[in-house]
Amino acid sequence: MQNDVMSDVIGKTLAGFREELASFGPRLLAMLAILAGGAVVAGAVRLLVKWLVPRMGFDRFAERVGVTGALRRGGVSGLPSNVLAIVLSWSVFGLFVLLGIGALNIDYARDLLSRAFVYLPQVLIAAAVLVLGLMAADFLRRSVLIAAVNAGLPSARLLAALVHAFLVVLFSVMALEHLGVGRQVILISFTIVLGGVVLALALAFGLAGRELAGQALERLVRRREEEPRDELKHI
Amino acid sequence: MSVPLEPKVEERLRELGEVDLLVGIPSFNNARTIGHVVRAAAAGFAKYFPGQKAVIVNSDGGSSDGTPQIVTEADFSSPGRILVSRPLTPVHKIVTPYHGPPGKGSAFRTIFAIAERLKARACAVVDSDLRSITPGWIELLLGPVLEGFDFVAPLYLRHKYDGTITNSIVYPLTRALYGKEVRQPIGGDFGFSGRMASHYLTKPVWESDVARFGIDIWMTTTAIADGFQVCQSFLGAKIHDAKDPGADLAGMLVQVVSSVFDLMETYGERWAPVAGSDEVPLFGFPHGVGLEPIHVNVERMIGILRQGASDLREVWEKALTPEDLAALAAVAEATPFRFPDDLWVRVVYGFAAAYRRRSLPRDQLLRSLVPLYLGRTASFVLQTAESGAEDVEHVIRDLADEYVRQKGYLLSLWNANGNA
Repeated sequence: MQNDVMSDVIGKTLAGFREELASFGPRLLAMLAILAGGAVVAGAVRLLVKWLVPRMGFDRFAERVGVTGALRRGGVSGLPSNVLAIVLSWSVFGLFVLLGIGALNIDYARDLLSRAFVYLPQVLIAAAVLVLGLMAADFLRRSVLIAAVNAGLPSARLLAALVHAFLVVLFSVMALEHLGVGRQVILISFTIVLGGVVLALALAFGLAGRELAGQALERLVRRREEEPRDELKHI
Repeated sequence: MSVPLEPKVEERLRELGEVDLLVGIPSFNNARTIGHVVRAAAAGFAKYFPGQKAVIVNSDGGSSDGTPQIVTEADFSSPGRILVSRPLTPVHKIVTPYHGPPGKGSAFRTIFAIAERLKARACAVVDSDLRSITPGWIELLLGPVLEGFDFVAPLYLRHKYDGTITNSIVYPLTRALYGKEVRQPIGGDFGFSGRMASHYLTKPVWESDVARFGIDIWMTTTAIADGFQVCQSFLGAKIHDAKDPGADLAGMLVQVVSSVFDLMETYGERWAPVAGSDEVPLFGFPHGVGLEPIHVNVERMIGILRQGASDLREVWEKALTPEDLAALAAVAEATPFRFPDDLWVRVVYGFAAAYRRRSLPRDQLLRSLVPLYLGRTASFVLQTAESGAEDVEHVIRDLADEYVRQKGYLLSLWNANGNA
């Protein structure tokens, strides 16, 4: 009697498992097939981009607009076309992962998939803001550096670095704000930090260094007044 | 593409038919000086080309100070007004606004179009802010054209420290590239034939920087590179309305050097095979100039070079080899200070190649040349402090020869760019 009950329970359990396997198995196989296909497609995209993009002069363009410099400063030493190939291939593979999860057809996976697709444009826009911001920061840093050297300002590098840091922070905040990550916290922190820096500089210059600042300004004005202008004509 | 002209100008052209001589004057708010320039041109026609049909064309950029009215009302009806004694052939006038991007090049384009329509045999363009122009300039600019030359470049009498961009970059580079000894390729006042004017009009440059600021070097280079007969005329001193000589050096350097480098790209196949350099015929009677001392702050110039060597290495390394960067660092700290010719030539050639391959935004690249240029100029001032005009000319000539000697180096950089 007891043996009959046990064999019945085990039989039902196995039958249930077989049914579950019969319905879930194909979906699992489909997911694995999608992942395998994704790996192949991502690999192909990577090879194609690595072959094609340098031939279109992308690396020179990236050098010119400051992307290479920005990458180098961020610790990435490879060619920009290589970096682009890696980013694109992983993006493609990520897309296949999402599709694979969707193929499982379970509620949680479906929910995750739909949320991922809703969030994707925000991620892309934030990435674009960040990349363009880093390029702009690099361009302006160099412009400030060159202009300051040409004007004979002694702290040209410091000035350029400050401009660069300010713009990197500004664009990073904009990108995070677009992603909706700690929106209020980031904005408030940024405002406090910026206000604090300005106040600190004002206090430092106005109180602690007022004599020094006064002397520096006096020297500057006197030098400008005393220095006769060059009479040499360049053209 | 035909050049747009005002209906009243079209009508005036139909009235005039054909002319022998034309002098064009581009202007923008030059009411103070243009009257003198117009009178000098009219007197030049009367004195040196009596009996020839002549026209003065004022191409104006929208002056608000009455510049066109001064030209319109200028009266050459009696010899006494322009201080000549012979009977006058009427001098015709055309006053017209120009179309296109604001700049001297657009003004010249209208003058070229009018010269072509009037089938002028000999033409000249002179700046409207000139105070030193005399009737003799008209003879010196138009006369060689009537003798068969297509382009007359000016040769001015200048102080040894005037025209340092011309002396250290534009003249020696143009000479080395195109093989013609034109001493002041960006002089500003030129003579040219009617067929030269028509040739200029065929070029697709009238919406580019040539129309805005690069017309002078473009005219000279086009005439030489396209194989026209070129000569020079000695005009004496050029004195024009006071400008601040130190005003925006970087902007000025960028405009001049970018114009020369752009032309290097346009005429790459023409200059590559040219070796050496030939003299061109010289008209006029050259004479020396007094060398009154002028103030130059050499220490400031060297200071900016030193700062550049320390802060701009990341920019310069886009254009210069590690060896040249090391040499520059050594030059910046050396006492006594001297920027050698060979290093300066490699700097200019390196920047030309970097400009071509767009290693950096071009404006940034050329602005970073300022400290190097100031260092080179400081070296020149120190080297020639005690020199007379003739010795200074030797120094400039030696530099120009160095440009020629290193042309192979330029070609290697340039071709490496092309294959990159």
